[in-house]
Amino acid sequence: MRTTLHKYRHVYLVGLQSNLVYRGNFAARGLFSLFHLVVVFILWGAVYVGNDRVGGFDLRQTLTYFVIMLPLQFIIGAFNEDYQISEEIRNGLINQFLLKPVNYFAYRFSVFLSARSVSGVLVFLPLALALPFIHHQLSFPPEGWRLALGLPAMFMSALIQFTIAFCFGLLSFWFLEIQSFVILSFAIETLLGGQVFPLDLMPAALYRLSQFLPYYYQMYFPAAIFSGRLDLAQTLEGLSVQAAWVVLLFLLARLLWARGLRHHTAVGG
Amino acid sequence: MSLIHYARVWLASARYSIVRTMMFRFDFLMWSLVEFFWMAVNVLLIAVIYRHTNSIAGWTKYEMLLLVGTSMILQRLMMGLFWSNLFELGRNIRTGSFDFFLAQPGHPLFMISTRKLDPDGLLNSFVAIAVVVYSVRQLGLHPSLTNLILYVATLFSALVIHYSAVLLIVSYTFWSIGSQGIEGSYFTLFEFSRLPREAFRGMANVLFVYALPAVISSNVPAGVLIHGFRPVHALWLLLTAAAWLALAVFVFNRGLRRYASASS
Repeated sequence: MRTTLHKYRHVYLVGLQSNLVYRGNFAARGLFSLFHLVVVFILWGAVYVGNDRVGGFDLRQTLTYFVIMLPLQFIIGAFNEDYQISEEIRNGLINQFLLKPVNYFAYRFSVFLSARSVSGVLVFLPLALALPFIHHQLSFPPEGWRLALGLPAMFMSALIQFTIAFCFGLLSFWFLEIQSFVILSFAIETLLGGQVFPLDLMPAALYRLSQFLPYYYQMYFPAAIFSGRLDLAQTLEGLSVQAAWVVLLFLLARLLWARGLRHHTAVGG
Repeated sequence: MSLIHYARVWLASARYSIVRTMMFRFDFLMWSLVEFFWMAVNVLLIAVIYRHTNSIAGWTKYEMLLLVGTSMILQRLMMGLFWSNLFELGRNIRTGSFDFFLAQPGHPLFMISTRKLDPDGLLNSFVAIAVVVYSVRQLGLHPSLTNLILYVATLFSALVIHYSAVLLIVSYTFWSIGSQGIEGSYFTLFEFSRLPREAFRGMANVLFVYALPAVISSNVPAGVLIHGFRPVHALWLLLTAAAWLALAVFVFNRGLRRYASASS
């Protein structure tokens, strides 16, 4: 067990070093996200003119929800893991992992954690720049349980994000080009993950339906816990559904990996 | 080269792009679906917001939908006609493949801008047009033929702005080859084009309405259908398009002088 942990700790550390090379890219991406935040503030500011509450929440609560989304994307979001996995399958680099005592899922997840450690720290730079201008428009709920339950929800969100990306990457066993699948999935995740609007603003039946999809747990769920859009009972129910999705997606990833390897041909030596 | 020659080159490129698309039909279907879904996301945002309010900065639901539809037409035309070409310009400068365009018998800017068409983007522009037509009908508007022609003319001016913005962004690669991904800032900038001008206040108004051309590129054409033709607004858009195109071409030409191919 200790040897296994040691092995992936090294993968994490090497991943950390290689991701630090791209610190400029991550920081620039974080800065561009501030522009998106400006769009959000202008749009929702205009929506609330003449409305004290929208969907039961005031302007400060809604803006807080979107501000929390920003660091979450950089801490738990899957950026290009699907492409990396796809590339390793397409150009045969994956063959080396088939010959070594390395679990490819665990290896990739360690690399994912290292990348998110770098981007997760760097996103606080643009956020620190913006906070002096926007802090008076934000309101964070005081309940302590939100942090206690929000953090495990965040970790499971990261697992769901990564496992979905992993599954899409594995599609390269069957398809030469997966870019369109990935971008289509990204659009669905953006919408049903609550990045376009808080999901609770949808009609009640659609909102209830979304709670049974994995996308709800990718981003909306932790953001809604932290920003006060979910109460304790909803959070506890959500955590159990989220855990079920983690297990289901993990099983799907294992199935795709096993089936994909049967399909795979390693050429050269 | 005469204009007829340029038109022939463009037609040959268009024919090549369509033949190529037909060779990869599944890809074409998937990419059409991707673009369609992204447009649906914008329409759904409007639908959800207007469940809770009647107006955004004085704009009703279908006025907003018309604005978003106009913005989508522009972005689909941009994606269909120019995006792949300009996106590849950055990559070609980095790899030295840009030499290939310099050796062609035509102005490099024309040759790089028209090499490919993306039929999926063009196909989806019809969906965006359908959104605008639907909004016009819901608003009970009956634009005259003159106003329709002026709508198309202002759209064309706005397309020039979009083209110039991307060219300007990509031309930065002539100075800094480590600028991969910089093209994405176009989408960030033109996210503002889906907002009504009246929603901007103070510094945001100065920066995003007057300094950067994203907001007027959609608001002026949409205004032609909603409020009728306003010469001052049209002139503002036309002059902005001319200024941004002149700036983009100037920067591109300066970049061209710096280009020294890639070492082997």
